[in-house]
Amino acid sequence: MSEQPHLRSTRFRAEREADWQRLENLVARAEQSGIRSLTLVEAQSLAGLYRKAATGLSVARDISLDRSLRDYLESLVARAFLAVYAPRENVSGVVVRFFVSSGPRAMRECALSVTMAFFALFLGAILAYLLYAEDTAWFYTFIPGDLAGNRTPDASTETLRSTLFDGDINMAGQLGAFAAYLFSHNTRVALFAFALGVFACVPSFILTMYNGLILGAFFGLFAERGLGYELFGWLSIHGVTELSAIAIAAGGGFHMGRAVLFPGALSRKDALRASARPAAKLAVIAALMLFVAGLLEGFARQLVQDTELRLLIGWGIGALWLAWFTLGGRRSSS
Amino acid sequence: MSAPRNAAEAARALEAQRRWFALTPPEGVEIRFEVATLAARFGAQLLDILITVIGALALTILIALTAFQVGDAALIVFSLMTLLIRAPYYIASELFWNGQTLGKKALRLRVLSADGRGLTTQAVVIRNLLKEVEVFMPGTLLLGAGGLSPFWLVVMLIWIAIVLAVPLFNRQRLRLGDILGHTIVVQEPKPVLLPDLADQAVDREFVFSPDQLEHYGRFELETLETFLRSHPLSTAPVEPDSAVVSIARQIIRKIGYKDPVPVHRMLAFLHAFYKAQRAFLEGRQMLGDVRDDKHHNQ
Repeated sequence: MSEQPHLRSTRFRAEREADWQRLENLVARAEQSGIRSLTLVEAQSLAGLYRKAATGLSVARDISLDRSLRDYLESLVARAFLAVYAPRENVSGVVVRFFVSSGPRAMRECALSVTMAFFALFLGAILAYLLYAEDTAWFYTFIPGDLAGNRTPDASTETLRSTLFDGDINMAGQLGAFAAYLFSHNTRVALFAFALGVFACVPSFILTMYNGLILGAFFGLFAERGLGYELFGWLSIHGVTELSAIAIAAGGGFHMGRAVLFPGALSRKDALRASARPAAKLAVIAALMLFVAGLLEGFARQLVQDTELRLLIGWGIGALWLAWFTLGGRRSSS
Repeated sequence: MSAPRNAAEAARALEAQRRWFALTPPEGVEIRFEVATLAARFGAQLLDILITVIGALALTILIALTAFQVGDAALIVFSLMTLLIRAPYYIASELFWNGQTLGKKALRLRVLSADGRGLTTQAVVIRNLLKEVEVFMPGTLLLGAGGLSPFWLVVMLIWIAIVLAVPLFNRQRLRLGDILGHTIVVQEPKPVLLPDLADQAVDREFVFSPDQLEHYGRFELETLETFLRSHPLSTAPVEPDSAVVSIARQIIRKIGYKDPVPVHRMLAFLHAFYKAQRAFLEGRQMLGDVRDDKHHNQ
């Protein structure tokens, strides 16, 4: 049998096969030990070979009826794409960038949404306070039994006072209390205020306002017994951080809800995606703040029994948060 | 002649069931990935949950052994540790291992950015935060870390049911986190280069006229290719009742091949026919005449 003419697609393959093999080897190495293990020359040839293979793929789709070749090229190009476009991040870079610039920037971007959430919280609180002043029975309407414990309008003033100042300090109990706290009511509210914001803000608004109602009713009860100031101190030490966290989580929810309601020039899906970026950062900030609030509630509140000091710590930390949100990441990163 | 046609239809139906996702990178050449099956994703998820649970368990034991008397609060401390390591584990592994957690590695899955650029930190954080919101936190609360009232219990159950149903209702199996983060989970492509069937010397004894090559299209050619890959030219002598014989006979009848082909030469005939048919179809395709299957001229 003498030499036979080759098909065009066979020649096409023969001319490029060596390059594909080289690309395959480079991709395998980049996958195994990271793109950093390649030398500069190798990294450059990876990018070059990837582009050549991609061009080859588009030609093969047109001229070759060799199924296995097309499948091979599809896979090879896909794999090379993944290696070439792999995220090049490191832990410290990501964390530093979040704290130094992107976190506070996201807060400022969502300032209106967060304000809306604080508004819902205060609206609920004022409403419940006024209603409680009218009729104490409202207390039972707003506050679920497991949350109230022995803090009800039926309790004596002494009992109420003792719930604010109990100096029981043992570390085992504290850790349990801290852990239990994180799964408590407020975390649930923050979580759902964030997640349900997508549904046009309404569920988030209701949840945040409901949390305000609880706050207002408690305040009404303690204020009636002349413990308003003490409650304020008790609440402030962790509450400034914690309630802000709820409002910020809800603000993230509002931000997504607003994108759904008013997508502007984008499609709703795209608007939602764009809004999810700062909203997710708000969620991270809220989680961080809930964690700090948990530490404050689990440890600091029991250690600090003085109302003035509680106020100072609570609002001092609140001021630090505010400073971070307003001042962080102002300088343009060039 | 209905049986082979049904087989072809079955093959096509099977092909249609695979879900593909095409992304366009900046180079402009569309790249196709196969969307991961729900079963594979579920398996990967189970593995990852196992890993985080073991990690949290180890941390809890460590804490119990050192500073704190955990005692009664062991379960709740364990839940706390799970919460603390879970999201960071997912985010860090998907970010630093290019879209793969250990579970996804084991099941050969990968997270991609659907916009054709690389995965961004934001996308990874969004999809994994949403995973917490979607499933894990409600699940933890359901399993009893929170002492839920019946109202919250029902709310959580409904929420989880809705969230788990989302991937069933879109073609690319996206969950909420994928939709918001603009990501997609795909099967990892595996390049295998097989030899070119047309790159071998075939018998010049078999000559086909253009008329005889008019009958089949791309689909039939690829089916024949798949068959011939498992029957290379060097295979032992052809059995009289084998698939090779029945396929060869059918082709001979269909294209009206005149010369007699003895049984022991039928495999060589098929290889020669494959090469001639491919050359013919590729030639037509160059001229803009794409023939997808044998019904091309109807």
